Amino acid sequence: MSVDPVVRLADVTRVHGDGPQAVPALRGVSLDVAAGELVAVMGPSGSGKSTLLNLAGGLDAPTSGEVTVEGTPLSGLSAKELAALRRRRVGYVFQDLNLIPSLTAAENVMLPRELDGVRARQARSEAVEILAEIGITEPGRFPDELSGGQRQRVAIARALVGGRRLILADEPTGALDTPTGDDVLRLLRARCDAGAAVLLVTHEPRYAAWADRVVFLCDGEVADSTAAPLESAR
Amino acid sequence: MAIRHGLLALLSQGPRYGYQLRSEFEASTGAIWPLNIGQVYTTLSRLERDGLVAPGEQDAQGRVVYTITEAGRAEMERWLSTPVARSDRPRDELVVKLAMAVAAGADPRPVIRAQRTATMRALQELTRAMAGAEGPAQRLVLDSMVFQAEAEQRWLDHCEAVLAASPRTQETPQAPRFPEPGSGPFPDEEF
Repeated sequence: MSVDPVVRLADVTRVHGDGPQAVPALRGVSLDVAAGELVAVMGPSGSGKSTLLNLAGGLDAPTSGEVTVEGTPLSGLSAKELAALRRRRVGYVFQDLNLIPSLTAAENVMLPRELDGVRARQARSEAVEILAEIGITEPGRFPDELSGGQRQRVAIARALVGGRRLILADEPTGALDTPTGDDVLRLLRARCDAGAAVLLVTHEPRYAAWADRVVFLCDGEVADSTAAPLESAR
Repeated sequence: MAIRHGLLALLSQGPRYGYQLRSEFEASTGAIWPLNIGQVYTTLSRLERDGLVAPGEQDAQGRVVYTITEAGRAEMERWLSTPVARSDRPRDELVVKLAMAVAAGADPRPVIRAQRTATMRALQELTRAMAGAEGPAQRLVLDSMVFQAEAEQRWLDHCEAVLAASPRTQETPQAPRFPEPGSGPFPDEEF
């Protein structure tokens, strides 16, 4: 694969605090995620998993090194440009969903597009389309009328809407039972196979195993990684 | 265990030829446990000796159809209703390897790391195999292997955390001791 990665971390270090109190959260981590690739990050609490995800999505800035999203180095962007890039290029899926309970599934998915200035009518039709694609056929339902697995699907739809192809998922299977968690991974896998790039943080080996590559973090460094993507007939 | 019980379970669904038993056994277990036809016939003849199956007449091609007997059904029921004892499983080489690494004063952490990566690769392959699983029997067999691999990963994480919290473990050259009361090396770690 010689294609540009969707996200690239090049020798990224992140130190919290300074002087004698400085705590390095990440130390010289390099990682590429290409289109079509699902990369899982594992490691004990405090190993730097969440820091890595926040840096990859421009929610946090590295102390040194460079993060590049779809060819754009983040260090050169103004706060406003960075916010726009986060809205347009990056989708987040968290453990605690963050769906807005007073909005329907469709309205939750529309939200990032409307914030981006897309007209409501178009945002709605995009939302309904992507929800249908991932198996939510009743977009008018409210979050509390959906099962945990369906809510996570809505969150994934919201991360994807508007043609974003970088998904950062932080423990997206958190409170789900294993068959439902497997469904979430099956869906993320399918989105990868359709061209998205997914960076998944999980502490559960069974979900990490859906990835093309699993990276183990320890004390802010890459301790190990499973081989480059295997050629497989998926 | 348990080829004999597996064959009884298949025969409880109706009479079968030996070659059918072989292919159905493999289909149910997802071919993780390949049988050769010789094993099937050896097992059938023992089952026949014990009165658990009864052979029919040879057909024109020399094939014999086997039928489960009442005693065979009872034996299958007994097997299904008896939990498997943990001690029936083979000793786990990994456990011995890690214990010996610590006992020998070697650094066990590279052992843990290498195993974790290898097991993760195996888990990735199982997950891919799961996508192509045919039928619920095969799927459940693969699930079982996934859960076992997962348990191993969790145990490896646990070992690493325990060793990290207890530097003595890495440096003690003499035989390992059980920790004294009150010196438990377990860190605050959620499981």
